[in-house]
Amino acid sequence: MSEILKCIINDEEIEALVDPDMRLVDFLRERMQLTGTKIGCKKGECGACTIIMDGKAVNSCMVPVMRASGSVIQTIEGVEKNGRLHIIQEEFINKGAIQCGFCTPGMIMSSKALLDKNPSPTSDEVKEALGGNICRCTGYRKIEEAVLSAAKRLREEV
Amino acid sequence: MESYVGKNIPRNDGYDKATGRGKFTHDIFLPHMLYAKVLRSPYAHAKVTSIDTSEAEKLKGVRAVCTFENTTNKLFNTSASVVTTNPGAEPVRDQTVFTGEPKYIGDEIAAVAADTEKIAEEAVKLIKVEYEELPYVLDPLEALKDDAPDVQPELAHKKNICGEVIEINFGDVKEGFEEAEEVVEAFVKLPRVKQAQMETHAAVASYKGDGTLEVYSTTQTPHPTKMIIAYTFDLPESKVHVKNPPYVGGGFGVRIGISGKAEIIATALTLKAKRPVKYVYTREEDFIASDTRHGGYLKGRLGAKKDGTFVALDTTAWLNTGAYATFGVELLGVCGACGTAGTYHVPNLHYSGYPVYTNQQTAGAFRGFGTPQGTFIVETLVDAMAKKLGMDPIELRKMNTMREEDKNWFPFSVGSVGINECLDRAAEEIGWKEKRGKCKEGKIRRGVGIACGTHVSNAAPFCVDYNAVTLRIEQDGSMVVQSGIPEIGPGSTTALLQVTADEMGIDFDKITMQYGDTKAGPFDIGSHATRTLYTVSQVIDKAAKKLKADIFDYTAELMKMEREGMKLEGGVITSGEKSISIKALAYEAHLRGKQFIVSECLVPPNSLPWYAQAAEVEVDMETGMVKVLKVAAAHDVGKVVNPRLAEGQIEGGVIQGVGYACREEMTYVDNKGFYNNGFHKYMLPTADDVPEIVPILVESNDPKGIYGIKGIGEVGVCPTAPAIVSAVEDATGIRFYEIPMTPGRVLKAIKEKEKA
Repeated sequence: MSEILKCIINDEEIEALVDPDMRLVDFLRERMQLTGTKIGCKKGECGACTIIMDGKAVNSCMVPVMRASGSVIQTIEGVEKNGRLHIIQEEFINKGAIQCGFCTPGMIMSSKALLDKNPSPTSDEVKEALGGNICRCTGYRKIEEAVLSAAKRLREEV
Repeated sequence: MESYVGKNIPRNDGYDKATGRGKFTHDIFLPHMLYAKVLRSPYAHAKVTSIDTSEAEKLKGVRAVCTFENTTNKLFNTSASVVTTNPGAEPVRDQTVFTGEPKYIGDEIAAVAADTEKIAEEAVKLIKVEYEELPYVLDPLEALKDDAPDVQPELAHKKNICGEVIEINFGDVKEGFEEAEEVVEAFVKLPRVKQAQMETHAAVASYKGDGTLEVYSTTQTPHPTKMIIAYTFDLPESKVHVKNPPYVGGGFGVRIGISGKAEIIATALTLKAKRPVKYVYTREEDFIASDTRHGGYLKGRLGAKKDGTFVALDTTAWLNTGAYATFGVELLGVCGACGTAGTYHVPNLHYSGYPVYTNQQTAGAFRGFGTPQGTFIVETLVDAMAKKLGMDPIELRKMNTMREEDKNWFPFSVGSVGINECLDRAAEEIGWKEKRGKCKEGKIRRGVGIACGTHVSNAAPFCVDYNAVTLRIEQDGSMVVQSGIPEIGPGSTTALLQVTADEMGIDFDKITMQYGDTKAGPFDIGSHATRTLYTVSQVIDKAAKKLKADIFDYTAELMKMEREGMKLEGGVITSGEKSISIKALAYEAHLRGKQFIVSECLVPPNSLPWYAQAAEVEVDMETGMVKVLKVAAAHDVGKVVNPRLAEGQIEGGVIQGVGYACREEMTYVDNKGFYNNGFHKYMLPTADDVPEIVPILVESNDPKGIYGIKGIGEVGVCPTAPAIVSAVEDATGIRFYEIPMTPGRVLKAIKEKEKA
């Protein structure tokens, strides 16, 4: 049985016929071809599938697709605007916060959800916001550095 | 001229990875593609007495069912060792694609390709299998006993020995111990730990009726993977195309060769279905059915003179290689060579390494490749000797570390040695003099510790190791580097372009690299063994010299310029008063039917990177919690090409070492298999657990690598655990001979000490 899903993804209104058994992450990756959102465990344990849903960072692998009805979703593909990187993305590149890159979209979405709400996070607040995102390459220090540096730049821009 | 080597150039894949536009194997969706699921053994050792796939085949949407009955049973090995074993020696081939006699919980029996993952999963459940359970053995020391069950009765060298027992002899160890005035001994137990790279093993294989096979893969070694697939299925290597898409979500050694069995299973299914097949390991499969770091036991004896001079070292390792070899033999070699024989100048040493078959999942390559295990036993012994002699552990180390002029066990010269500088700088950064050995009291106790060692910068001459590259100048003077080397995360392809830009005198942003693809470049042995930057930079150097010579010869003739003293800098060729841009020259050459293009191939020398890490910890005597506060990580990696990328390698390695020392452990439950089937049951460090890490780059000028470059990829993890163990001993007075130092283990040791 299929149901109709209506939501906003990366500023665009979406209407799609979906299998309600599907997880949101599969809808994004397979139906919307938004493969920037990654799957690391499909059990809500690694954060690779983090998206921003109604202002909050969520593991899209844990969201039954119909739970996205009426919600506003941003994926990593919606962060870059018109070929221009977001400051968080720039700082991830500049500060060496990216290695294999598989956790990166999730890390950036968790970071963005934090900075959208809290423009001046402390180091501990950054660590807490990234607590659900596993990175096995970097040792996290350069990621934290990138988020704090992006926060600073974003504040200066305002 | 501007130099790129030594600068923090942002990585060339940063944009792709920060925007989610870069593709990984998980992201490949091909038209008409099928999805695979695998049936795995629930028994540690059994014989399949009957298998019935008829119900599975009848399920709508099922397109192929492969089992050990209808798939080749040619013996192979999932690790690249099968195609990198030196001439004269036989590689171990002890695996088949599927098996009718599973040897560990998780072993592959059959696989299904279907229209959707859900159908494939359903079909796997419909395969009826009857098993006869057989005796099994789980522990390497148990497996060596005469009455233990045989894991590989036809292939084992002797009782459950995989390949051979590795022996290293230098000097006369018996005489050495007779000469010794003090002797210390130790026995340690080390855990299995998991690479836990973020992208699980995956492959998309597509076989077409014209006999060509295309495989997208998470491998760290596209060319060897191509060779293994072609060998197993009797296909011409020229018809097998293996590529990363181009990104690989981490590796840390776990996919040197095949990624688990992803490529080989996807290939078996696509050969049958004649449609593309995607096989992505679940996180559980990745945890319980692919290589881990080797756990096991090591013992050692160290003999020294009263003044601290080491005279004899005898070590033995019994490591659990699991049901199949993968890298079992080679890893025991590196454990001995780098871990036990590499760091100190000991005139008499002996090492025996036993790769032991058991009925558990395979252990194979994981960052460090045996060096962490060997370093752990040796550094345990050195600390014990310092205690016995009443010497400062750093002073004792410094008087015994390898020197450039020392003859060592390796079949190549020692090269530049920055290990004592590493020891000094790590000690200074951690505050060794003020903190070590100070009286500790109260609930929370702090301590500092240190450990040091060495590794290699590639696998030569122990294994086949070489690269080839093609360099070409485009018609507008920009440049393309073609290499089969993958980018598994370190930023090697960025650092290699920095080297290329300097070598050629062409701007960094005018050079592109094609990589991670067997069709992108000629043969390349892959990204492993701390080798990528060290070895590929050397073959690029060789090719660039030839390419420049070709450009200069052509320019001299066409432009009537003096060949002698001709230079290419900043994209401009000059000689005397005359000059021409490479852009103009390349186009002029094009108009005359000439492209500048060069291929070169090189067997690299080998260089030893050195390191010392000092750790500071805090131990809660009531909860047993060990908190690592700081790690000062000093590394002699020769010339640093990109400091920020180099720091990233060290920081990432250190955190894996912190996990190894304090948290991570694969725990086996009898009749069920490994308990750790997901992240929630495997304690990886998270952002919250990260200590202060201070990477210290010591740039000794190595005579062998170009610009003095040495390897860096694996070394960050090697000394971290023994440094932390040493710090915990400093804090608590308790030496741990088993890791990880979990709160339960630490508390138990504290209580035992209080009782005593």
